[in-house]
Amino acid sequence: MTTEHSPFWRSEDWWSVYLGLLVFLLSLGVLGGLDLLGWGVKFSVWADPLKALKAVSPEYAGLPGYLALLGTYAAMLVLTLVGAHFLGLDLKRFLVGFTVIFAVSALCLFLGHYGYIAATPDKREALGLGWSLNLTGEAGYILALLAGLTLGNLFPAATRRLAEATRPEWYIKTAIVIMGAALGVKAASATGLAGTIIFRGLCAIVEAYLIYWALVYFLARKYFGFSREWAAPLASGVSICGVSAAIATGAAIRARPVVPIMVSSLVVVFAVVELVLLPFLAQQFLYHEPMVAGAWMGLAVKTDGAAVASGAIVDSLVRAKALAEEGVVYKEGWMLMTATTTKMFIDVFIGIWSFLLAVIWCTKIDAGKSGQRVGLGHIWERFPKFVLGYVLTFACLLVAVLTWPELQAVAATATDEGNVFRVLFFTMTFFSIGLISDFRKLWEEGIGRLAAVYLISLFGFIIWIGLFISWVFFHGIKPPLGNG
Amino acid sequence: MHTPREPKLIEELDRMQQEPLLPIEKKLITYSIVLGVTLLALLAWISWTFFEVPG
Repeated sequence: MTTEHSPFWRSEDWWSVYLGLLVFLLSLGVLGGLDLLGWGVKFSVWADPLKALKAVSPEYAGLPGYLALLGTYAAMLVLTLVGAHFLGLDLKRFLVGFTVIFAVSALCLFLGHYGYIAATPDKREALGLGWSLNLTGEAGYILALLAGLTLGNLFPAATRRLAEATRPEWYIKTAIVIMGAALGVKAASATGLAGTIIFRGLCAIVEAYLIYWALVYFLARKYFGFSREWAAPLASGVSICGVSAAIATGAAIRARPVVPIMVSSLVVVFAVVELVLLPFLAQQFLYHEPMVAGAWMGLAVKTDGAAVASGAIVDSLVRAKALAEEGVVYKEGWMLMTATTTKMFIDVFIGIWSFLLAVIWCTKIDAGKSGQRVGLGHIWERFPKFVLGYVLTFACLLVAVLTWPELQAVAATATDEGNVFRVLFFTMTFFSIGLISDFRKLWEEGIGRLAAVYLISLFGFIIWIGLFISWVFFHGIKPPLGNG
Repeated sequence: MHTPREPKLIEELDRMQQEPLLPIEKKLITYSIVLGVTLLALLAWISWTFFEVPG
């Protein structure tokens, strides 16, 4: 069965690349006059619920919104079921779980687009509304998170039945691969700015990693008396990358699996706290500095899902605030691109950092204790493969639009059609994060010492050093202006 | 059927032994922070001096 498949077929990471690339390739049909994904569902801000859903392409204008939704569900289900088969999951349980997660996510997106919640000031008149919360349609993400938290913490038995399909990392990585194409088209319209974001994002994470990790490790070892086996995964989990870093570091220093797992359960809970707090803080205080806000999300919020999700929320909230307060219309997606870029460089850095730790542990700390040998293959083993998918979709459309500028409009149409799936995978990520965030962990005996290191590190210096570094590299840089 | 009991955090922490900071750990922490702060200054200077922010 699946155990016979090579790692290329058994890894969630690789499957995010396959699914993302498939959606990307199908979306490119419009470049050759074939509208293969135009039937995908698009959610719009609504006052009349019958106008909330429609097919994303005008070619499918006659298709009722509910059918577009059902078609999108069926397509996503089939794609993920194929992946689930190769990943060795229980397909029946996956089907049920996926269906519930998709349905709740779609409902949250629908409610999140309700005019009184979502409409920005420039849209109120057209919708016949006197006021609105100005949260944009991305309010659906917050609703999905809240729904997940409620279900996950109040109805654990029901949540366990969804476990097979509760895979936020798979969903977000697939969404990121799809998103690469849209960001490539955006980057082609402002190559100087995109280059700046990539270069400065790389600069920002290098020293953030070095400073964060060392401080948390020192704090855990010196003042909280944690052993090396606990302190290293804790430092990686708390300081930068969350779950994947804790697990990679645990493996690098040959910690028992129970250690990174316990650290990870705490990381997920605090990532939710960050996801709920930081975008709103950024909206209040950083709407003058949108790119600082985007980079801050990438540097401060743990786990890929929560970091990129917070980038999406901050993108919407800051644009809405800038419009309401200053009448400035920023183009969509640039803050999200900044958050995603910094987060992905961090992910790439996990491999290098865990390699360094493995070398130090192997040659200095555990020298002679184990026959462990460390090779450069360790870096590849830890390399997040979905980054390859992102770079590929990003580079393909960037190069294509730069080479043939006349493709800009049709490439934007293609990415709009892929975006249908990106948005739904994003929302499912939010809901799934809520489902797996078990706040009862905070009441577990012994958690206080672990949580104390986390809280002091996170709110004592990580968030603020991240903000400072983001400001150093991104202040004064603005997204391109839109048309309103 | 007997299934292994899920490990308790409190038991794991109680089992944890006191380990003093080794010189190599102190070096790792110090070099990491010094390198981080130095790179912060250097890369910030390079970014703002040689890479113009697009208007």
